[in-house]
Amino acid sequence: MSIKTELLLILQYFKINLKTAIEYRANFIIQAGAMVLNNCMWIVFWWIFMNKFESLNGWDLNGIFQLYAVLMVSWGLASMFFGKKGYIAQSIAEGKLDFHLSLPKNVMLHLLHGKASWLGAGDFFFGLMIAILIYPFSAVPLYSVLVLCGVVIFASIAIIAGSLAFFFKNAHETSRTMLHSMVIFGFYPLDIFHGASKIILLTLLPAGFVASVPAMLLQEFNWPWFLALIGATFTFAAIATIVFYIGLRRYESGNMMNVRV
Amino acid sequence: MTITKYFHIAKISMRNVFAYKADVFAHSLFIGLIIFIFINLWQVIFIDPNNAIEGFTLTMMIWYLVLTESIVTSFGRLVEDMGNEIQSGEIATKLTKPYNYLLFQYSQNISKSLFRFTTTFIVGALLTLYFVGPLNFSLTSIPFIIISVLAAITLHFCLMALISTSIFWLEEAKAIDFLYSKIVFIIGGMFFPLEIFPDWLASISAKLPFSYIAYFPAKLFVSFSLNDFFKVFLTQLFWIAVIITLNYVMYKFIISKVQIHGG
Repeated sequence: MSIKTELLLILQYFKINLKTAIEYRANFIIQAGAMVLNNCMWIVFWWIFMNKFESLNGWDLNGIFQLYAVLMVSWGLASMFFGKKGYIAQSIAEGKLDFHLSLPKNVMLHLLHGKASWLGAGDFFFGLMIAILIYPFSAVPLYSVLVLCGVVIFASIAIIAGSLAFFFKNAHETSRTMLHSMVIFGFYPLDIFHGASKIILLTLLPAGFVASVPAMLLQEFNWPWFLALIGATFTFAAIATIVFYIGLRRYESGNMMNVRV
Repeated sequence: MTITKYFHIAKISMRNVFAYKADVFAHSLFIGLIIFIFINLWQVIFIDPNNAIEGFTLTMMIWYLVLTESIVTSFGRLVEDMGNEIQSGEIATKLTKPYNYLLFQYSQNISKSLFRFTTTFIVGALLTLYFVGPLNFSLTSIPFIIISVLAAITLHFCLMALISTSIFWLEEAKAIDFLYSKIVFIIGGMFFPLEIFPDWLASISAKLPFSYIAYFPAKLFVSFSLNDFFKVFLTQLFWIAVIITLNYVMYKFIISKVQIHGG
């Protein structure tokens, strides 16, 4: 199956999900609005912190906004296009993969994009508003590439974390915690970490690659970090694919009868 | 019989936790990772670890965080779970059973919560002991701190149960769950003590119930005084009573509106 067909399918799912969301307009607005409020709470957190300490290893409140501008848009897009990213482990544990296995589509990708999380719309708009306020128009091409890398990394980590269910059965909570931890750690500048923690944030839980590194590149572009980010994006996508398909061999059908409406 | 059935529910729920203990331990390890990250964050701020910021040394600040994280994350996503039961109508099947729905939820979740609290605290404590060192505190204060932690966990449950009723009107459990958790994280003082806040915000936070879930029990843990314990515990009991009353009113209203369409 070609990449073009997959992209078209993702887009079709997005359109259908959007139409469904618009049918339940009030619910859609509540979800997105609550997430904007939720993100404002993080701004309150940093405002309290910077009010007391002024700077964190050279990062001030403006630097924190730069992190949010990239992180929230990537996470928001990943949630809107790959809304099932937090439910992979649950689907595996409950034997719900049967449905995806019976379709002539890529199982791994289809498992990700069957649903949209409109909480992500709140994150997306929040991040986008900040980006419009702080970045010039000339930054759009680089910003778009960096955001796209962030989306791929988020989707890859979701698959890796979700695939734990192939090996440990009930890994739903763990996989969701892992995914959300990435967002939480992304809120903190990478420069405040050192040694092992910095390595963790660039490998096991690559929050650095979805927030601090893109923010740093937008502030001052440098090739080594840019290539490292591109390399990391492909590496995580490859690891996700390998782990998922190795795990899939261990999958046991639940023989559960499901009606999908 | 009335009380024992809830005790049995708690016992069964605990057995379920043990059935999925790997998942609970993995969750605790991730919370441990958050604590690890915060150790790094505070080490940047405390250039000299022996200095105190607003009465907190580095050691006190990290042990404070270990306790607040252990309390606040102990219930998982209860608002979302209870909210989904209301939204999906699943609550109807529970209402026909011979128990009080809220007490059922409490007994079912308290054993899970205590188990999660313990595992998270152990993981956090081991990390803190290794990276920061032990906390100076009197062993005689432990029973008082345990009482305050139990009250904090109960208050946390009552607030989550109350907030989950909003799903009846808002139809969105996850966003409300996120929002509530952020309020406890920040306004409740989970991430840092109220002493770090500007004075006006600290005085507002100190008056709200959220700080009695995180800040006050953790402050007792790192800087204990019997007088403070009585003040904190009595205020926790006051908030528990107020929120239980509100829960009672809200659930009575919801039950009167629930429609069961057979099936």
